[in-house]
Amino acid sequence: MTTTRQCPQCGAEMAETAEGLCPACLLKRGMATKTGSGSSGNVPVLEEIAKRFPQLEILELLGAGGMGVVYKARQPQLDRLVALKVLPAEAGRDPAFAERFTREARALAKLSHPNIVGVYDFGQAEGLYYFLMEFVDGANLRQMERAGKLTAAQALAIVPKICDALQYAHDEGVVHRDIKPENILVDKKGRVKIADFGLAKLLGKAQADFTLTGTQQAMGTPHYMAPEQMEKPLSVDHRADIYSLGVVFYEMLTGELPLGRFQPPSAKVHVDVRLDEVVLRSMERDVERRYQHVSEVKTAIERVSVVGAIPQGQISSTPETVARDLLPKLMVTAMAVLMGGLTMAVGVALAVFAILSESPQSGQFWGWMGGAFGCLFGGGGALIGAINSYRQIAGAGDLMTEIGSNWLDRVLGGYALLGGASVVAGVVWSSLGSAGRYSMLLFGVIVVGQSALFWALRRPYRVNQSKE
Amino acid sequence: MADTGQRRDSVPPGARQFVTTRWTIVLTAGRSDTMQARVALEELCQTYWYPLYAYVRRQGHSPEDAQDLTQEFFAKLIAKHYLGDVDRSKGKFRSFLLASLKHFLANEWDKARAQKRGGSQTIVSLDAETRYSLEPADEVSADKIFERRWALTLLDEVLKQLREKYAADGKGKLFEQLKVTLTGERSTIPYAEIGARIGMTEGAVEVAVHRLRQHYRKAVRAEIAETVAGPEEVEEELRYLFAALSL
Repeated sequence: MTTTRQCPQCGAEMAETAEGLCPACLLKRGMATKTGSGSSGNVPVLEEIAKRFPQLEILELLGAGGMGVVYKARQPQLDRLVALKVLPAEAGRDPAFAERFTREARALAKLSHPNIVGVYDFGQAEGLYYFLMEFVDGANLRQMERAGKLTAAQALAIVPKICDALQYAHDEGVVHRDIKPENILVDKKGRVKIADFGLAKLLGKAQADFTLTGTQQAMGTPHYMAPEQMEKPLSVDHRADIYSLGVVFYEMLTGELPLGRFQPPSAKVHVDVRLDEVVLRSMERDVERRYQHVSEVKTAIERVSVVGAIPQGQISSTPETVARDLLPKLMVTAMAVLMGGLTMAVGVALAVFAILSESPQSGQFWGWMGGAFGCLFGGGGALIGAINSYRQIAGAGDLMTEIGSNWLDRVLGGYALLGGASVVAGVVWSSLGSAGRYSMLLFGVIVVGQSALFWALRRPYRVNQSKE
Repeated sequence: MADTGQRRDSVPPGARQFVTTRWTIVLTAGRSDTMQARVALEELCQTYWYPLYAYVRRQGHSPEDAQDLTQEFFAKLIAKHYLGDVDRSKGKFRSFLLASLKHFLANEWDKARAQKRGGSQTIVSLDAETRYSLEPADEVSADKIFERRWALTLLDEVLKQLREKYAADGKGKLFEQLKVTLTGERSTIPYAEIGARIGMTEGAVEVAVHRLRQHYRKAVRAEIAETVAGPEEVEEELRYLFAALSL
């Protein structure tokens, strides 16, 4: 019925039009920064870049933002992938920039840390300032958040790595000034890398550049900025990074930004209450009341939960790591089944003993009761433990989920104790014959052993389960 | 204004601008059903109802059913505000609207069918089916048609606003002639020719085109801003809609 025309501009089929105009072209026009074509402000074309960097193979555009444009490239001689970051052309127009650039770039190049994106080279190529950096094959935290692949447990594992990087940088006298989810990368192997260190200062991107229209991308989303950074952008110190980290942490845990009067993380998600303090103290408006060093943040987090497994990005899970987590999970399942089953079996045995023994009526009754309860609790504990562990194994795609949750731990332990206690009680009340004495001995050992085992297993596998 | 530095819809001190858009008004009102929020929501629905209608039709409902259904949905939405859902979405009006409709279809349409409220405002216009019959007959899914139609509704709205703006300045004819420069590059559109038609020099046309494009860009972003939670989401929404049209 409707004849589809082809847009002369973009070649797309115009099945529908907005007042006779190609909608795709219209939207594209809405996106362009400058109303002219080409030249400054816009993203340089791949060919232009390739011409200026003949020693590189420009592969694709990775992203564009206020801090410049990043390309994925290859160094043929070294046969490695690199990231080429080209600063906005306007940056180069400031005559004082050249000197600042060299100074800052040298400082950045000196930063050598496993959690900081490394700088290989920097300079100027026909008027465009650039950095040649480590290529990180992965996603940034923003992308991971959006894909819904960030659990609280992962957040707890990532943040200490960020702290390491930040503390190192601060020790070297470099403040990041723009910590936000877009700048925190996680590669396919789960390594955390922070990007764009110090660029905010280099480019002088203070508040002046934030406008509603006219920017290509949300510029340094002010939400992550420390209050003192917004008021006096030039006089901030390393503690501004701590504030930003707090905001990022909050967002990772709850999925939301801490706006206005916000709720503490434990009120929104199943996380340890002690994390509230960490987050809130990081985000103290008064600089003096904030953590004074990033290492303090890290220590505080580590005190809250001991994380057993190494964090993995949700990009892929390698077979080794699945196996690594599977083994302890299987072990605990087996333990739970064993212990519970044992209690159950022993409870049954006790009941049988009591019935068959020549002990007085009341003793028989209590022996029977003790056996029955032991059976119930022991069996129940075993069942719950087995089911829970199976759930974890079945959901092994999410490698950060550890065994059980706090309350489940307690239930399991409680069941075990009750099972043992019931059995013991039964024994005490039943016959005081030799059978009873031996049973008592045996069960005492079992109860103590069970309790000790569950207590021991709880410690490394205590978890902060996140609300999905 | 001390706390507004943290609010998503405010722009930091540098720009000295406090931006309120319709969707941010609705989001900010949250649970409290203020008159302002209700009006804002209603206005949004007035503009963007058609994509929903198209979605419902593409799901297989008859024209009559679709008309009733969509109207009923909007009546309910505006009356009850779906307060709880608005709270949690904190995202874009577009996603919120579609999600609410899906929820409505799944859970509430049966009940609502029995007692049609109608609502005081007719959102779904009577020519809805006429418009729908003009849709391309290909097998685009309901979700896709919703997205595409949303993008087109947005563009229609923006162009309408621009035309009205130019007409108010007595430049209606100019707008009609220059409209085409919004999609084309200079090489394909001879400015001299346009100039001849409206009695302007080529240079003047160039300036006028530049101005039109600027106004257009502002208008597009402003209109998108009406439907998202904060200025930082405008770019993302633009790209999303562009992708929706391209596929």
